[in-house]
Amino acid sequence: MAVVAAAAGWLLRLRAAGAEGHWRRFRGVGLARGFLHPSATVEDAAQRRQVAHFTFQPDPEPREYGQTQKMNLFQSVTSALDNSLAKDPTAVIFGEDVAFGGVFRCTVGLRDKYGKDRVFNTPLCEQGIVGFGIGIAVTGATAIAEIQFADYIFPAFDQIVNEAAKYRYRSGDLFNCGSLTIRSPWGCVGHGALYHSQSPEAFFAHCPGIKVVIPRSPFQAKGLLLSCIEDKNPCIFFEPKILYRAAAEQVPIEPYNIPLSQAEVIQEGSDVTLVAWGTQVHVIREVASMAKEKLGVSCEVIDLRTIIPWDVDTVCKSVIKTGRLLISHEAPLTGGFASEISSTVQEECFLNLEAPISRVCGYDTPFPHIFEPFYIPDKWKCYDALRKMINY
Amino acid sequence: MAVAIAAARVWRPNRGLSQAALLLLWRPGARGLARSHPHRQQQQFSSLDDKPQFPGASAEFIDKLEFIQPNVISGIPIYRVMDRQGQIINPSEDPHLPKEKVLKLYKSMTLLNTMDRILYESQRQGRISFYMTNYGEEGTHVGSAAALDNTDLVFGQYREAGVLMYRDYPLELFMAQCYGNISDLGKGRQMPVHYGCKERHFVTISSPLATQIPQAVGAAYAAKRANANRVVICYFGEGAASEGDAHAGFNFAATLECPIIFFCRNNGYAISTPTSEQYRGDGIAARGPGYGIMSIRVDGNDVFAVYNATREARRRAVAENQPFLIEAMTYRIGHHSTSDDSSAYRSVDEVNYWDKQDHPISRLRHYLLSQGWWDEEQEKAWRKQSRKKVRAPRPGGRRQGPAWEAGCLPTAPCPHR
Repeated sequence: MAVVAAAAGWLLRLRAAGAEGHWRRFRGVGLARGFLHPSATVEDAAQRRQVAHFTFQPDPEPREYGQTQKMNLFQSVTSALDNSLAKDPTAVIFGEDVAFGGVFRCTVGLRDKYGKDRVFNTPLCEQGIVGFGIGIAVTGATAIAEIQFADYIFPAFDQIVNEAAKYRYRSGDLFNCGSLTIRSPWGCVGHGALYHSQSPEAFFAHCPGIKVVIPRSPFQAKGLLLSCIEDKNPCIFFEPKILYRAAAEQVPIEPYNIPLSQAEVIQEGSDVTLVAWGTQVHVIREVASMAKEKLGVSCEVIDLRTIIPWDVDTVCKSVIKTGRLLISHEAPLTGGFASEISSTVQEECFLNLEAPISRVCGYDTPFPHIFEPFYIPDKWKCYDALRKMINY
Repeated sequence: MAVAIAAARVWRPNRGLSQAALLLLWRPGARGLARSHPHRQQQQFSSLDDKPQFPGASAEFIDKLEFIQPNVISGIPIYRVMDRQGQIINPSEDPHLPKEKVLKLYKSMTLLNTMDRILYESQRQGRISFYMTNYGEEGTHVGSAAALDNTDLVFGQYREAGVLMYRDYPLELFMAQCYGNISDLGKGRQMPVHYGCKERHFVTISSPLATQIPQAVGAAYAAKRANANRVVICYFGEGAASEGDAHAGFNFAATLECPIIFFCRNNGYAISTPTSEQYRGDGIAARGPGYGIMSIRVDGNDVFAVYNATREARRRAVAENQPFLIEAMTYRIGHHSTSDDSSAYRSVDEVNYWDKQDHPISRLRHYLLSQGWWDEEQEKAWRKQSRKKVRAPRPGGRRQGPAWEAGCLPTAPCPHR
């Protein structure tokens, strides 16, 4: 608590130092190391470098889908893929290193179970992987492509944006690649740096014709992935890699679907709406309890789940009720998906807003290695932004 | 040996490798040991003992420093059946196609030629916005199309209208797509010549080059899994072959053992870029072996050569589940498109040579004449008839508008509000 007071003092000093706008650029910069770890000595801080910036909150055990099993995120993905290949004889899984089980173990056991013609490695070529997947889907078979890290999806950008997204439209619905799903590990992981931490959803949000989906938990992941695979449009499914092992909960063994383009209000509230997706949902959940405890503020927490097409109605309905909106994502601020949400909400709910919409995001820089704790929109930054909105 | 095992323990992480396993890895004859240990050199080895063990290549050692010289002076030879006068050179290569089939080849090429002339003019007159002709390359289209089954899936680039023509795509639909009118099955969404036909297994054309190549490979893989006995054919130009997608497609087809024919139309130009600025190797056929792909170069203006090569490639691709690469040498007689004036970068003499001396239509016509299956009368009549077919008035005429009814509006999968 003393450290929190010290931190608050530090923040106040910075605030006094310059105008609000100046302050915005200082968010996170210059904070003493001790600030991050309340009871830290320098030694302890070094040992605690691996402490995550969030705490995964499992959802209660689902009762309506039959027997459940404790699964972490990668196991829930395996389960979804297992269900898909069992149900759909045309379904195939391919990408780099998927045959031995995948670098994140998402495809363990599937090649042995379903055969080497259905679960196979491809050469190291993302544009080839996606192009190949499109071709399979054009024949009507189900293609589940893996891109090893979302950071490496860019060679496939042309195939995704110019081809997959436009296949049905440009052919007048004579042809389509709706049975294509692309899965890829996504988001910060503590040590990933520039090329193992990216969240590229904003690049794809600008592309009509595809769906982009990001789960926050194993139970969500399985249901959403199954929906993506069965959806009649090409889908990109980003899997928060930091949650692969860190998130574990009871997940149904049988297949089930969670609808796409439906955001979930995971906690109701009345004073401010918090919107995030993927790992960041757990951060804002914690911010919501901090706000309740310290400020007596009641937060409505929304997991967006589908980035495009996004659930405008749920978010707007919430903002109409609360009058305040905070959106948070790891991806850089400028052009990040929060800007789309912010723009639409101010169009739809202008007169309901009590404060400017707040976006707490990564900085407009490449994703750093050693500076990750300073880069990511952690709970303190979110809490601070929330406080300012309340006091606006 | 003990030293080797000890060394192995130091440098290799201990993953439970037993002594026996280590012995297997460091077996006698492994290069380092054989050369260094005096006792070993006295033993009798078969020639197999000093072979390289690298997983990455299956090759012998060589102790002479020698770079492989790429052979572009005398490249892969060009397979042909007819000479430039339409005479069969080697009778054993004559496909002996029946008269109806050869006439269909001829009529498809000439009807395409006629349609090209009329639609090119239509663009000049402001009736359509854009057009690309196929002059000089008709042989590559119909020769290959004739060698396929009707259900074989076709992925094209943009200069393969003859494939659709051979598959009897109605003239009305060619033109509907160019006009973007209500009859266009593509619903008026794309520029002219971006044809597609589900019934005739011709995937809708898209403008980005070479993107169809890895897609065709995926389709072939799915066809293999489905035991469909279908081949997929993928057309592209020598310029598109420079794209990364082409490299990706070739490599995937070979490693994943796909029944696909890669058909490259090497017509000498990518818009204004001649082949000397497109590649330095021996064209596209020479790249095939680099990927492990069976490859051939053919005279693209010789319909029978194209037919024979495609037919054999199809038979083997399906039977053996492996890709084939056919590089059809030809010449783009027309401009790249109606937005291009090729006199800016090549001489009229060069174009005239190909138009007059080595044209797929004239060569086949010579063959037809020599067989007694065609004559000047029929030629005149057919020219008139084909022009009539192309110009025939249609319900609503060419003045039909685009499709504005609700059912034809863009089917956007992003209904935000």
